[in-house]
Amino acid sequence: MVDLKVEIAPGVTLKNPVLTASGTFGYGREYAPYFDISKLGAIITKGLSWQPKIGNSGVRITETACGMLNAIGLENIGVERFLTDELPILQKLNATVIVNIFGNNQDDYANLAAKLDGIIGIAALEINISCPNVKAGGIQFGIDPQAAAKLVAAVRKKTSLPLITKLSPNVSDIVMVAKAVEEAGSDSLSLINTLIGMAIDLDRKRPVLGNVTGGLSGPAIKPVALRMVYQVAQVVSIPIIGIGGISNARDALEFLLAGATAVEVGTANFINPRAAIEIAEGVEKYLDEQGCVKVTDFIGSLA
Amino acid sequence: MYLFNSEVVKNQKLTQNIFRLRLKAANDFCRAATPGKFVMLGSDDGLFDPLLRRPFGICRWGSDWFEVIIKVVGRGSSQLSKFEKGVSVAVHGPLGNGYPNNNPKNDQKTLFLVAGGMGIASIASYLFSALDRNQSLAGTFLFYGAANYSELILLNELTAADAFGLQLQTITDDGSCGRQGLVTQLLTHELQSRPQSQVFACGPEPMLKSVQKVLLEADCDGYLSLENRMACGFGVCLGCVQTMINKDDDANVKTAKVCTQGPVFPARQVIF
Repeated sequence: MVDLKVEIAPGVTLKNPVLTASGTFGYGREYAPYFDISKLGAIITKGLSWQPKIGNSGVRITETACGMLNAIGLENIGVERFLTDELPILQKLNATVIVNIFGNNQDDYANLAAKLDGIIGIAALEINISCPNVKAGGIQFGIDPQAAAKLVAAVRKKTSLPLITKLSPNVSDIVMVAKAVEEAGSDSLSLINTLIGMAIDLDRKRPVLGNVTGGLSGPAIKPVALRMVYQVAQVVSIPIIGIGGISNARDALEFLLAGATAVEVGTANFINPRAAIEIAEGVEKYLDEQGCVKVTDFIGSLA
Repeated sequence: MYLFNSEVVKNQKLTQNIFRLRLKAANDFCRAATPGKFVMLGSDDGLFDPLLRRPFGICRWGSDWFEVIIKVVGRGSSQLSKFEKGVSVAVHGPLGNGYPNNNPKNDQKTLFLVAGGMGIASIASYLFSALDRNQSLAGTFLFYGAANYSELILLNELTAADAFGLQLQTITDDGSCGRQGLVTQLLTHELQSRPQSQVFACGPEPMLKSVQKVLLEADCDGYLSLENRMACGFGVCLGCVQTMINKDDDANVKTAKVCTQGPVFPARQVIF
């Protein structure tokens, strides 16, 4: 049996390299009726802000060719309710929990990091500097390497929790941002967030989404994500978590080959609630069939 | 709820672009179905094109099958509408809350069912459920509106419900069947003589908005079954949320997930 354990950040060893992407897995318990969520490497919760957020109005999602656009607008219950209502359930379910956080400004991020520091049941923080759907929701930090580095350094000071920085693909050079946040003290990187896109209703001569633009996800973005993971893996020494259109075990394995230590399954969770666990099982089966002893031998082994 | 691969038993073409699909299902699934619940359906070919599953009301069910009505509006519904007998279909359901149970007290009251266009698929689930369990429909009215005669589907079966006491009134935009006008006219008229009735409505948003207005003016309670774009159907994508009056604080609004907190909501709470 292949050893699937991976270390995605110092001291954060996961039982397998399959995680769930923030915003596609609710607060975790929604998936408990479908499978044992403790069997995943980790679950990453819906992005949390200090205050609850109601999200965008109008049409929020639309399907595109082999993908979907969303403009949810970071609707969430806020950190307080997460800690009182949701985290205890996740602990009962024995899930490995990574909390995704975002804010309007540096202080918001720092305050969230401080609030979550030392709380039992949180394995790491994922810093969202890349949501494309709100005016102030991180992306202003994610498109500028210096601003990203400053933010990560500020969060770093406020928490002893391992930090994963989630990068935006909507930049001219993702490698620059990756290097900057590595230097600023991020323990690992997750990439990519959604690509900014748009859909138009021809007959009504209107944008389909209430927010006009939205984040593109699903199989359509996999080649872009794979390329970015591959490029970043060449230059950083911290672990990378690959995200982007992963829909089956073969997709996940391709990201591992490209240099990702782990992967996050996103949009596929919407289609099949069991997608993430089926991908984890599929990765194990494939590596067993290949006679692979440790998944870490497979990671980055692209010829 | 259940996740399984089903098989098409029958695909019946009802109109040029409306199809009735009968799918196999396990007993457990059928026992969990209630009027107004829905399923997410998609191809199980693993190609993810179309990507997302699509929501359809469970229109009728037996002990080992269920039916949905599919109107072709885009690529997802088009693919499903072409599935012939024997084709495998991925099913997730039953999902959602469904219509409330009519408790014995409510049974005394008149029940007005209001259906517009494809909303009949959801409303008919209430009627079929009663028919298939030999329950009386005395005191139940169905107001059913559509663009024209050919868009009025399931008419044979609905007319047959006469024998159970159903009072059916149809109305069309062009007057090609029943009266000419909008379905809310029928509701407004009948509510005048029976203001303390129960009302279930399903149809396009402008119709539901107008039903809500009629109910508020008559100070009558009722339920609206909403439809919205959704990626998942089980409460995680947050694509389908509807703005609602926050019961705890009338000055405030909140969002509700049409998929898990609905699709059926008290008419007074919905903010269109």
